[in-house]
Amino acid sequence: MNVLGQQRWLLTGLGVIVLTNAIVLSAAALNRIGEPESRLLLSERELALPYAGGNRRANSGLALRLEWRVALDGDSPHNIAYARYERQPDWLDEKRMSDLGFDTRKGAATAEARQAFLRQLSRPALIVFELAGPAWQRALQQARDNADRHAAAAAANRGNREFAEGAKAARAFVVQEEAEHTRLFAIDAGSDAATLRQRYPERNRFLILRGTVRPAERLRDGQWTLAGRLSEIAIEEIHVPYTQRAILDELSSTPQGKPHRPAPRYEVQLAVGQRLEPWIERIARLPDQPPPAGDIGSN
Amino acid sequence: MREDSSGANPMSPPTLNLQARRQAQLRADSIAVFQDELARLQNEGVLTLDSSQQQAIAAHHTSLLASYVRDFAIDPTRRARRLSLGMRVASLLGALALAASVFFLFYQFWGYFPEVAQVSILITAALATCGLTNWLQQRDTTGYFSKLAALVAFTCFVLNLAMIGSLLNVAPTDKALLPWAALALLFAYSGDQRLLLVTGILCLIGFVAARVGTWGGIYWLHVGERPENFFPAAALLLALAAVGWHQPYPGFAATYRVFGLLTAFVPMLVLGHWGYGSYLDLPPDLIEGGYQVLGFITSGLAVYFGVRRDWPETVNTGTTFFIIFLYTKFFDWWWEVMPKYLFFLVLGLIALLVLLVLKRLRRSPGQATR
Repeated sequence: MNVLGQQRWLLTGLGVIVLTNAIVLSAAALNRIGEPESRLLLSERELALPYAGGNRRANSGLALRLEWRVALDGDSPHNIAYARYERQPDWLDEKRMSDLGFDTRKGAATAEARQAFLRQLSRPALIVFELAGPAWQRALQQARDNADRHAAAAAANRGNREFAEGAKAARAFVVQEEAEHTRLFAIDAGSDAATLRQRYPERNRFLILRGTVRPAERLRDGQWTLAGRLSEIAIEEIHVPYTQRAILDELSSTPQGKPHRPAPRYEVQLAVGQRLEPWIERIARLPDQPPPAGDIGSN
Repeated sequence: MREDSSGANPMSPPTLNLQARRQAQLRADSIAVFQDELARLQNEGVLTLDSSQQQAIAAHHTSLLASYVRDFAIDPTRRARRLSLGMRVASLLGALALAASVFFLFYQFWGYFPEVAQVSILITAALATCGLTNWLQQRDTTGYFSKLAALVAFTCFVLNLAMIGSLLNVAPTDKALLPWAALALLFAYSGDQRLLLVTGILCLIGFVAARVGTWGGIYWLHVGERPENFFPAAALLLALAAVGWHQPYPGFAATYRVFGLLTAFVPMLVLGHWGYGSYLDLPPDLIEGGYQVLGFITSGLAVYFGVRRDWPETVNTGTTFFIIFLYTKFFDWWWEVMPKYLFFLVLGLIALLVLLVLKRLRRSPGQATR
């Protein structure tokens, strides 16, 4: 006979399945018990529909992609666009990295010391996101200042195509910053949720999520410093509940008009529970926006 | 009731009794060899049986084989064995295709159901396919269909956890690998399934390595960036190979040993050329040199113990990695400076040397007594 009798192994197998599901479902229920840890009203800017493609035909589920970024010094559209992907914020410095458990004792003075720091692997961290706060205002102001500078340069070099194109792109970028780009900025990181919540008490403006931080280095004014990079968020795709997906199904099956108008088409009430796992509570359609004054069709 | 040497009762209803089936197949193979040798002896005039003796032997064998075929669905002839191999391949391919089909079926339609229905379907599918596998194992004497069902059941359970995780936005965790390993190993042991044994072992390797990395403070998904995280998993697999519960399952202990060695040798090979990936706070060159030496020593030890204990798979794995370690080192040293014909000549001579050493080991007195 087998080591396990047929009946015994069947019960063991069923037990493994039932017990595992019970643990997963209990954890999910625990996350949603009581008042959410935070509750924010986001829009299409922060929770985007998935990219259209072949995979969507094979997968009938729908999840929204969390769009976030970090603030960087610098004022050109190129730099700002770069910041959306680089995710190496200025505030994630040597001290913050040390607080997160990274070994920074060797400092950044020599290439060997920096190499030893960079060899360390990603660590889990709690990341604080701010919605439409000072970080976004600064980014907006940077884009406007940049547009003003480009406009002045174009005016001073009237007839020069390169300057004219630069001014047009900078103006378009302002419109995108005002109405299209995400307003959700990663502004802090730590290892204790209670401490972070004490520092950022507004639960409808500050979101705390699990993510990972990776060591990085920064060269500024000829000086190397130790830094960090927000490498990923644990849950960047948030499932859309069956009862809420009608609006999104309609939107994702309707092609956007030309010229493209950068205005969010829906808003989402997102809750984050005790285990810092998010879920969508409500989705509402936003009224159609009038076309913006600037021509951004070329972008 | 009569009991034959396979240990099974031919009068009992057909059940999947793995040990008895294996013994019955061994007896059938022995009968075929005996018949061949008897024919040769008779042709060479060494032995002559009268017709009554021949008939008695033939009748006994025919009756024995018929009972084995009836009770255990063994392969009584070489032709049946060849067909059986084809059926095993078809069963494996069918199982993989069915598992993929279940996977894509869920993804294709799950969005059209409310969450409660989705969760219920996922859990019910995992439970039902587990029950179906058990039911088939009790009835399918060939084992082909129950093996197929076991792989589908395992896929359903993987989907079950992965999709509930997506539905409820649960953060991905390495802990899911543990129940997956448990179920895969359960199916492997209950149905003599080597494929699910390997799947369970891979889940176990992932889980142990991720846990080791997490205890060191790193994020579990990046565990592969420090190959040393896999060494505890290798030690665990080699220890598991030594425990006695694999006895009734031929090839299981060998599978643990092979994966234990692979889980040790592959990280050593990587670290032997990428010292930067080590936990050790030492110059990368020193780390690489150290792991190269360790690779030679451990693969040599694997060959030694494999020969001593008569573990052919351990000898083969050890030899393969010893040669890989050697060739990569030779490549580092000589590829640029040596003419290519000379480089490959040296490699060929080294292979001959390894053959001579292994031949000598095979003839050693310790082995001769076995």
